[in-house]
Parts: sequence; C-alpha cells; structure tokens
Amino acid sequence: MTQRIVTAADLDKLVAGWAKSGAVYAPVEVKDWTEFRRIVSLAETDLTRVNTKLSARGLLFPHCETMFRFEASRPDKAQEADEPETQVVLGVRSCDAAGIAVLDKFFSGQGETDTYYQRRRDRTTLVGLSCHAPADTCFCSAVGGSPTGTRGLDLLLTDLGGRYLAEPLTDKGAALVKDMPEASASDLAKKAELADRAEAAITERIDTRKLKGLLDTADGNPIWEELSLPCVNCGACTFVCPTCHCFDITDETRKGKGARIRVWDTCQSCTYSQHASGHNPRLAPSARFRNRTMDKFRYTVDQVGEVSCVGCGRCIRECPAGIDICETVERLMLALVK
Amino acid sequence: MSREEQLRKRAKELLAGKEVVMVLGYRAGRRPGTATPAFITRPEDADSLVFDDRCGANLAAYLPRVKHLGKIAVVAKGCDSRSIVTLLKEKQLDRNQLVILGVGCDGVKEQGRLSDSCATCAYPNPVVCDEMVGDKVAERESAADPLAEFEKLAPEERWQALAEEVSRCIRCYACRQVCPNCYCPTCFVDAGSPQWVGKTTAGSDNMMFHLMRAMHMAGRCVECGACSRGCPMGIDLMKFNRKVAKTVKDRFGAVAGLNPDEPPALAAFDPNDKQEFIR
Repeated sequence: MTQRIVTAADLDKLVAGWAKSGAVYAPVEVKDWTEFRRIVSLAETDLTRVNTKLSARGLLFPHCETMFRFEASRPDKAQEADEPETQVVLGVRSCDAAGIAVLDKFFSGQGETDTYYQRRRDRTTLVGLSCHAPADTCFCSAVGGSPTGTRGLDLLLTDLGGRYLAEPLTDKGAALVKDMPEASASDLAKKAELADRAEAAITERIDTRKLKGLLDTADGNPIWEELSLPCVNCGACTFVCPTCHCFDITDETRKGKGARIRVWDTCQSCTYSQHASGHNPRLAPSARFRNRTMDKFRYTVDQVGEVSCVGCGRCIRECPAGIDICETVERLMLALVK
Repeated sequence: MSREEQLRKRAKELLAGKEVVMVLGYRAGRRPGTATPAFITRPEDADSLVFDDRCGANLAAYLPRVKHLGKIAVVAKGCDSRSIVTLLKEKQLDRNQLVILGVGCDGVKEQGRLSDSCATCAYPNPVVCDEMVGDKVAERESAADPLAEFEKLAPEERWQALAEEVSRCIRCYACRQVCPNCYCPTCFVDAGSPQWVGKTTAGSDNMMFHLMRAMHMAGRCVECGACSRGCPMGIDLMKFNRKVAKTVKDRFGAVAGLNPDEPPALAAFDPNDKQEFIR
C-alpha cells in the first residue's frame, strides 16, 4: 500500500476528525508515566515515551466489563450491555500491537469467538508508532518482534521529526490517511535508518525456541522452587502484560438489581485455581510462578503456536520483587539443559 | 573490610557452621540499579549478597514463607527490623529461629530518588538485631511532616485526594503481597462467601479495599513504604498508612514495631485509653 507523509499539523486535524465520529485513545502523561486516555486533540498526548504504564490491551479487554444487567425478580429479562463505540487507538507500540495479535488468537482464533472482545476489536483501528529509543527492559526483538514491527496494526507511523511516515497495513489503516501526500524515497530511507538504530539498541537476547522443548518435561523440576522464592505472588506482572487474558466473572447485585461483570484475573492469586470443593491444585507459590512462565513459553505455544511474551518489559519494570523474566528464562535454560 | 564483605563473610560462616539453613538478603538484579531478594543456602553463593540503596524490599515479608525451613539469618534495615518486631508480637515468628543481621540504612532509592518513606524515617538503624554488619548510620534530620498538607484539607477534600489515588488501582494486590503484616491465609478481599469487597475497580470497590487494608494496618504498620514502592500504578498508599499510624500514636501512645514485649496497640485494652469517640 502507498506510504504517505503526515505532518504534525495534519495529524492534529486527523485526530480531531476521528474524535468527531468515535473515541480516540492515545498515551497521555499521568504522574511521571503515560497511559492510554481518551483524547479529542493531539495536544493532549505525549507520544515520546517508550511504553505506556499499562498496555493497550485494556481498550479491547477492559479491566471490568459489564456483560449484562438483570433484576433479581425478573430472571427472564436480562438486558444486554451497551455496544462499544468505534475507536482509534493512536501511539500503539509494536510490542503492544503484537500482543493484540496474540489476544486475537486467544479470543477468536480457536474456533470459538468471544463476543465481548470481538465486538470491540471489530470497531477498533490501531495506529502504531515506531519505537526509536527502547528502554533497557525492552526485548521485543528477542521474541520475534521489532521496535518498528507492524503485526496487529492497521497503520504504522514513524516520527521523522515533526512529520510522520504513515505505512498503511490494512484497508482500515489506508482509509485514515488516504488524502495525505505520498512519501518520498528519502523518507523511506530515513525510516529504515531509524529502524536499524532502534533494533541495535536492544541488546537483550533470550532463546525461546529451545526453551519450549525443555519446558515440556520441566514440571517437577526443583528449579521452580528456587526461581520462585522472591516472587510474592501479586498480579502486577499479569495485569501489565499485553497478552495475559484471564478473567473472572462475578455478579454484583444491590437491592435486587445487578450486573454480571467480568474482571481481569491472575494466575498468581491463590483464588484463581481454587476449586468449589476447597481443594486448590496450585496452592504452592512456586506452582503459581511456574504456571505463568510455562504459560508464556510453553502452554501458549501448544495452544496458539507461539510464545505469548512480546518483550515489552513491563513485568520487569513493575515487579515489586525485582524479578526479571529474561533472567528467569536464562536460569531455566541453564538448569534444564543439564 | 567493607560492609558488603563483612556481610558475605558472616553469611558464609553462618551457613558453613550450620547455624542457619538460609541467609535472606539481597543480590544485584540483572539490570543496573536493581536488586532482588536472595535466598542463600550454600556458603559459596554468599558472595552474591549486596546491600545498598537498591535494597528496598522489606525482607520480613518473606520470613513467614520460609520459616518452616529452619533457622534463618535475615538482613534487616531499621524498617525490616521493626516489621520483625511486629511479627514477633503477633506470634508469627520464633525469635530463637532467627539471626538478625542488622544494617544501617541511609534510605533506598526509587527510580533514582530517595523513597518518600525513607525521607521521613526515624529508625534508620535496626531496633532489634543479633549483630550489626557495618556501622550504625547517623539518625536523619526528620523531614517536614508528610501529613501536613493532607491534614490541612477539609474532610471532603481528603476523601477526594484518597479517591484520586485509589482510582488508579488495578487490584493486583502487590501492596498486600509485599507487606510483612499481610500473612493471613485468606485475605478479606479474597473471601467469596460472603464476598466483603467487590472485585471491580469501579465505584467504591477500590476505596473499600484500601480503607479496609489501612484499618488492618492500625498499630502494626512500621511505615517502611514497601507498598508504595511496590505499587505498579504509583499509588501513594502511605497516605493511608501514615494517617492511621499517626492516629494510633495520638490515641494510644503506641508506635509499631519498637518493643516486642509491648502488646499490639489494638489488641490490648487500657482503662486510660481515650474513650471520647465512643460516647
């Protein structure tokens, strides 16, 4: 598809236009980080930070989502939740977009379609932003991604300094910038140069291909106990992760009126695997730690054909115990190869 | 010999002499400026131990989880030692099964700057320990009262300030999990029958969780700040805890984690306690 040039002034106009026909979300400064917030003007955004605090996953799979409402006295009259709005998400980093591509497989790629996810997904246009200065916790290229990766996106913007190179990846993306002028060969060359520089800035390397085979027989290995000792079993890593997708369903009822709500859940919580009988097969903290690592690098390879870590580094950044998933992988490799 | 060398030497001795089964300390993380709790069981691994301003985790939180292994040596800053006192008071630890390796602390860093809790720390040296590793540090000039601004606010404004903080909560419970005081086998927030607190982040659910947690900290929180530092959403949880600690001090003259022989402030009755709030 034709690559185009969008100046900052044009992007400002585009954003204003998108905001008239639907919601626009983009990174906005909050305290000393950025988060995706609803905007009406480009001036509200901060597109310079490497990663938002939480990934973009919440815009497709909200932390709390009402599935339907009901009245206890009228169980036959459930009222569907409102249909979601159309939305453009601006400033999605390549790792987050890759995470959404993985979520697509979980929520709709295995025969069944999750209605709540899919109806948001269908109404969403993802506008990515190339990453020029990865953080020291970034390792997208070690797990098959790239700071300028296009997977999952409708349109990728690359900041060439006050003007953006716009690469449409889908018809939806192309439609957003159809009136913009075409990019020149020197624009494309500039982008290639920035992409190479960003790629070179990521030095973290982990070998996740061999890891899968090793993990297949690692269930009872004592290394899990050792690796999990610092883990406090909070859910921070799972909630900031672009691909974690577990949820719990709860009925909230007050004075006879209620709603069925689904909320993010985490495999690190002891209630996650608690059976109705009271039995808990994953009571040991080490078993919960093992589950998350296994899920990222083994279980999802079996389920959807790929590791479900996109290298955004958020779990490293936010772990209150300083656990580093790259170190975990490295130590696993050392222990399991023996 | 530097403090770090002394620490490693003592850890080796304790493990080699089988005086303890584990030394609980810190080691450097994979990335610059980070450290992570270390669980050393072999003398040859003791050389990985570090102690400096990266070591913000309150190691007392790990003691109830590893105490079944046997006698543990633990590196304790002032705040960690006070949490150990709280756990001793509450009969969660056996003093004879601990070797407390005290370290003076000049405060820990959070993203390159001094952690808020450390700026107002009145106990930079351990209040209880078996031996000091390195020298005690000088008591710090106490910074401005961190509650001063908050207490100037009208009640509605205080509520607003707290509501704004907890609106960012994602209910990951990192605050609870890093807290030495939170050792309940089932937390009130995880109870399902009855369910005391809603699971959503909307409405009053977040506030209920944080208010109830703050109440459970009354007379027990040593203001180490591990919860605030551990929160991935940057919520100033110490706003709650400081206020509660101050109220307990005003009401009962009690400061948490100083004297293992004093009963927990809220688990003891004294006829001289101020009673006017009951009337």
